[in-house]
Amino acid sequence: MPSSNPLPPKENSLFKRILKCYEHKQYKNGLKFAKQILSNPKFSEHGETLAMKGLTLNCLGRKEEAYEYVRRGLRNDLTSHVCWHVYGLLQRSDKKYDEAIKCYRNALKWEKDNIQILRDLSLLQVQMRDLEGYRDTRYHLFMLRPTQRVSWIGFAMAYHLLEDYETALNILETFRKTQIPSSGYDFEHSEFLLYQNMVIRESGAFEEALRHLQANKDQIYDKVTIQETYGELYLKLSMFEEAKNEFNKLLERNPENIDYYYKLHEAEKLTTDAEKYELACRYRTKFPRALMPRRMALNYVSGDLFRKEVDEYMRRGFHKGIPPLFVDLKSLYKDKEKIKIIEDLLNTYRVSLTTTGFFSPDPNEEKQPASAILWVYYYMAQHYDYLQDTVEAFKYIETAINHTPTLIELFIVKGQIYKHAGDVKEAYKCMDEAQALDTADRYINYKCAKYMLRANLLQEAEEICSKFTREGVSAMENLNEMQCIWFQTECALAYQRLEKWGESLKKCHEIDRHFSEIIEDQFDFHTYCMRKMTLRSYVGLLRLEDVLRSHPFYFRAAKCAIQVYLRLHDRPLSYTDTQQQLNTDLAIQWNTSD
Amino acid sequence: MNIRCARPDDLMNMQHCNLLCLPENYQMKYYFYHGLSWPQLSYVAEDDKGRIVGYVLAKMEEDSEDNPHGHITSLAVKRSYRRLGLAQKLMEQAARAMVECFQAKYVSLHVRKSNRAALNLYMNTLRFTISEIEPKYYADGEDAYAMRRELKSFTEPDTQANQNVSITAAGTDGKENGDANQA
Repeated sequence: MPSSNPLPPKENSLFKRILKCYEHKQYKNGLKFAKQILSNPKFSEHGETLAMKGLTLNCLGRKEEAYEYVRRGLRNDLTSHVCWHVYGLLQRSDKKYDEAIKCYRNALKWEKDNIQILRDLSLLQVQMRDLEGYRDTRYHLFMLRPTQRVSWIGFAMAYHLLEDYETALNILETFRKTQIPSSGYDFEHSEFLLYQNMVIRESGAFEEALRHLQANKDQIYDKVTIQETYGELYLKLSMFEEAKNEFNKLLERNPENIDYYYKLHEAEKLTTDAEKYELACRYRTKFPRALMPRRMALNYVSGDLFRKEVDEYMRRGFHKGIPPLFVDLKSLYKDKEKIKIIEDLLNTYRVSLTTTGFFSPDPNEEKQPASAILWVYYYMAQHYDYLQDTVEAFKYIETAINHTPTLIELFIVKGQIYKHAGDVKEAYKCMDEAQALDTADRYINYKCAKYMLRANLLQEAEEICSKFTREGVSAMENLNEMQCIWFQTECALAYQRLEKWGESLKKCHEIDRHFSEIIEDQFDFHTYCMRKMTLRSYVGLLRLEDVLRSHPFYFRAAKCAIQVYLRLHDRPLSYTDTQQQLNTDLAIQWNTSD
Repeated sequence: MNIRCARPDDLMNMQHCNLLCLPENYQMKYYFYHGLSWPQLSYVAEDDKGRIVGYVLAKMEEDSEDNPHGHITSLAVKRSYRRLGLAQKLMEQAARAMVECFQAKYVSLHVRKSNRAALNLYMNTLRFTISEIEPKYYADGEDAYAMRRELKSFTEPDTQANQNVSITAAGTDGKENGDANQA
């Protein structure tokens, strides 16, 4: 690296060793070499050495000194790209991305073709979604290194993100032509082709996308994506027979995918419920082991036919003992008629099973296992709970518990009924009982903790959670480290109810920090995905991160924080309140200052 | 329940499902690492409101190019959705994708020695065999069985496929964020 303020050979070789130590994370050695240069009075103010010393100190966690040295270095050598680059790296490590970008730009003024600085700049630009800047930098890198694969990909990606499909596709196609198709397996090329196809489709050129897929299909290994893409394209191009064929093949592979059935509705131009019912019937015969077509059939029928179908469906569930039967059927409850039919059938089963052991008086039936009636009670409790008939719901859950006092699911539902009826205390007691029956199951542990928090029992909840957190650290700390947002949200809401405003805000800010971390997580993938060629997923990641804070988890926490802040604005804390809350408020300030 | 390949925007909800179901948890970046390295291998089961009720988080082992094989990092189904056979269906999809996209010869996983239900799923339904015991594999000191399933003759699920399986807590990697920083 030519310097504007060159060191003599001996010092220069020491300086190079500082750089090497920095690369290899040997920071202590780096400082030693820096000292050797700086202790010579002739070079004690050498800008680049001071800057590198600062950068090294930063890696040792000595941030304040780091800034001091880097700034002093820069002041002494304002035309050194090294000093500016270092200042940029320091700001980047501090997540001051806008500032870092300015530094890199200054560095490039003095060394406009420095690949490393350009790369670092491009990463920050895409991280900050300065897409125009990103495009310019990627163009620059492309011109400097036109033989590198990643130059082409980054260049095309920049145009794709700017929705300049024509340019993006030109670059991608020119690049593709330079690739000699390897005879063997090449996953990265397969991913490249699928990315190229994605850009073609996003440009709206469906016929072109279809041609591209047909021409390259032998080099693509992701069979699911190929078939799904074919299917989609055929639908877009009104090639319905072909589309049907693709989605049929996909169903052979995965008959539990609901979208494939919906696409078949399109391909077969089905509009009425009767037609869709008929399709579901066809596929449940074709895939007798699949649950989806069986379940879908219930969506498209009503009246007597619904009675016949749901009767068969529920009998099967009660016979086999499938606990999720109610959650499976719950979406049918939008329809009052269907609720009535289900209720009638349940009562028939209940009466018949308790008297004869059959689902109905029909003599041709097989006798049911003793567990069948239990699952009917269990279902009925959830059914009435859903209808807000607490009395009936309790009646059936108690009957079920009397029948089988050790089944955890029953206590969970009992707790739910209490919760829906507004008794958070009894609700948590049921969950606690359930939890005690199987302490090795984290799901029931979670339910119990959640219900405790609903009853404002923060300490008890943390204790329960600690059964599944790492030993040696507090549960609270471990759950924060693991980004356990549900727990922190429930804590925030409990503190809000308890009017512990500071504690509540503290939890909300912890959640906010998780979202910042998740945005930060992107950073390494900007280079990683270009290397791995997983470009479709990479674009998916960028699009996710763009709207990350629209996630319901964020919404809940933000809503809580806003309510607490408004409360504190409307009725500021009195002196005694302040004394009480001082500690926790200090904790927040400390936590939000970094 | 709808079963489909996981997308980047599922990964946060998979993390949530994992935190509800299993003792082995990972930071988001580790989920990103899976989803962005092997986008074809992870699958989710979701209810009609799009909530994740089960998932399989899977990867390829990167240190074995001449003998490529997949690995199940984490598999979970919410307790309230068990006995629908979801775990098995998720695993079959992941295994097939390992073969098709990455030419996997076999798939491996770790399971707690005490987790009889999961062991039963792996051995009887999914035809895994125990390859070795890894002492004190989990953070709490429990041993793990390292298990394997050959994929050479990977075909459609056989007649056992519809057997309902109840798992208490499925096989998972105990190494928290073991290679989260490989990205």
